[in-house]
Amino acid sequence: MKRKEFLSSVVPLAAAISTTTRLPAPDPDPKIPGYLKAGAVVGITCPSGAITLEEIQPAITTMKDWGFDVRVGETVGLKDFTFAGTDSQRVKDLQQMLDDDSIHAIMLGRGGYGAVRIIDALDFTRFRKKPKWIIGFSDATVFHSHINSNFRIATIHSKMCNSFPDDPAVETPEQVDSIRSIQQCLAGERMEYKAPANPNNRNGTARGVLVGGNLSILQNLAGTRSEIATANRILFIEDTEEYLYSIDRMLWNLKRSGKLATLKGLIIGGFTNIRPDDPGEDFGMTVYEMVMEKVSEYSYPVCFDFPVGHQKENYALKCGVMHRLEVGVDGTLLHDDP
Amino acid sequence: MSNHMMKTVIPPSLEAGDTIGIVCPSGYLPAEKVDAAVQAFRSWGYRVVTGKTVGHQYHYFSGTDKERLRDLQRMMDDDSIQAVFCGRGGYGMGRIIDLVRFRKFRERPKWIIGYSDITVLQMHLYARYGIASLHAPMASSFIGADPADPCLASLRDALAGRPLAYEVPAHEYNRPGRARGTLIGGNLSLLAHLTGTRSEAPTKNALLFIEDVGEYIYNIDRMMYQLRRSGQLKKLAGLIVGRFTESRDTVIPFGMQPEDVIRDVVKDYDYPVCFHFPVSHDRENFSLKIGCEYDFAVTPGNVVLRTS
Repeated sequence: MKRKEFLSSVVPLAAAISTTTRLPAPDPDPKIPGYLKAGAVVGITCPSGAITLEEIQPAITTMKDWGFDVRVGETVGLKDFTFAGTDSQRVKDLQQMLDDDSIHAIMLGRGGYGAVRIIDALDFTRFRKKPKWIIGFSDATVFHSHINSNFRIATIHSKMCNSFPDDPAVETPEQVDSIRSIQQCLAGERMEYKAPANPNNRNGTARGVLVGGNLSILQNLAGTRSEIATANRILFIEDTEEYLYSIDRMLWNLKRSGKLATLKGLIIGGFTNIRPDDPGEDFGMTVYEMVMEKVSEYSYPVCFDFPVGHQKENYALKCGVMHRLEVGVDGTLLHDDP
Repeated sequence: MSNHMMKTVIPPSLEAGDTIGIVCPSGYLPAEKVDAAVQAFRSWGYRVVTGKTVGHQYHYFSGTDKERLRDLQRMMDDDSIQAVFCGRGGYGMGRIIDLVRFRKFRERPKWIIGYSDITVLQMHLYARYGIASLHAPMASSFIGADPADPCLASLRDALAGRPLAYEVPAHEYNRPGRARGTLIGGNLSLLAHLTGTRSEAPTKNALLFIEDVGEYIYNIDRMMYQLRRSGQLKKLAGLIVGRFTESRDTVIPFGMQPEDVIRDVVKDYDYPVCFHFPVSHDRENFSLKIGCEYDFAVTPGNVVLRTS
């Protein structure tokens, strides 16, 4: 066949392919699990650290007050050193909750460490067909990143069972609001979050799918099949009990692995309980400076002091859902914009 | 850019009268702390020049990013310097690695000596340019050391181009086997940190060595999972586990020691593995040529690692 004839015969074929096969879109519409109605069931499981049944009672009581039923998984109360049971016990409990159609949302008992040990052993086939909300933060960032990046299914980054206060009488308004924001998220209410203006902010507006979580976990997922997809997205990060040098190093990993180059916006939450530098060796940079030097060549909005992190103000955020971010002189406004 | 298929570029060995440049690309090092190293290098027949970053301090660092970069760049590019000795690790190489220019260095490679934070530069050199480097003791190891210290002697041998061969006792967790491969590795925290970046080195058919200091055991577990999940453990020729010194545990014990963690993470593979190899942040830190071919033999009786 002559080259010219070959070309003329292949063109219509290519056109036919493009209309009949479904090519993956760059950022398809996120899949949002069904919002919860009264009587819906929330499962509680512990894929990471151990927690007792007694410790999750406040969460159970509160969620029942919200009108939900609660199913307590087998890993609650289990203990294998720091873990809530062996890897296989934790896989089994979470897998069962992922696959059980009578459970509408899964709240993790607590963070700690352990999710990355079991993520590859989980089968998300059924979950992808019938998504449900996965709720938690910190070590749960493994699930957020894996699920948001691979399946485009939304998840809820928020306080977990261990953050529900034992005694509501001594709760601060921020704690009350943070816990209530989980209910609002689950009910499908439109969410709006505010943060005060910070002189380090870079003003601007952005619209993009919100993703993020714990910085240590994001570095730990780099180069793996769970790594966070950030292109054209709004990224939020938070961390706790890290050294300043370590925060700087992890930010370099984000930058050097290409996660900061094509963001729509960057949200910096709490970096709490930073470990003190050795005497005479102060690091000499603030978190503000560390962040801004990494993103100085980009122009998207950046905000600090956003109420997400290992702190009282840690509002429920819908990861994998389109949001609008406005960083201005009067402060920061983030709201879901599906 | 990255020439994994090409043969490693091995810097020339040093000859008597050659010059070693001392630089601090990361943490602050008081000037007097290089004295012992300087004396040792002179006793080996080398000249020494110290860079501006030695004894210089900018907060935690041995200078601003610009100062550290300029000093390192000068040492790498100056033809009157035949090897670059990093005085100290700490933290800071990762802040300047993307600003270092390798154009001249590639034409005239020289041994870069160090470990810990220097892992960033050493793995970058191998990953991007296929250039070998020396994972070896830094300045503090020379202080108060016996002149006949075998780890320092190994650095002397490496610089002089003598073959390196280590025989170490068996460890109960060792997995026997024989392998030949390109030796790569360094500090586990930094190998994990480089994952997903352009400084991540290819691990296929490599002999990987790892060590760390002061890490929580759960974090060692987490980092080993990152190496595994990013495919860096799957196609190794062998794994050489150094010392994990001053490891920390959580209030509720993790229930495994670093050696248990590592053995568990590589249990699905069948290449030889050895534990307690003398590469560490402690006194025992024998010189290893990153990027060079080694023969690795793990037998019930002992472990032998030698340059091919």
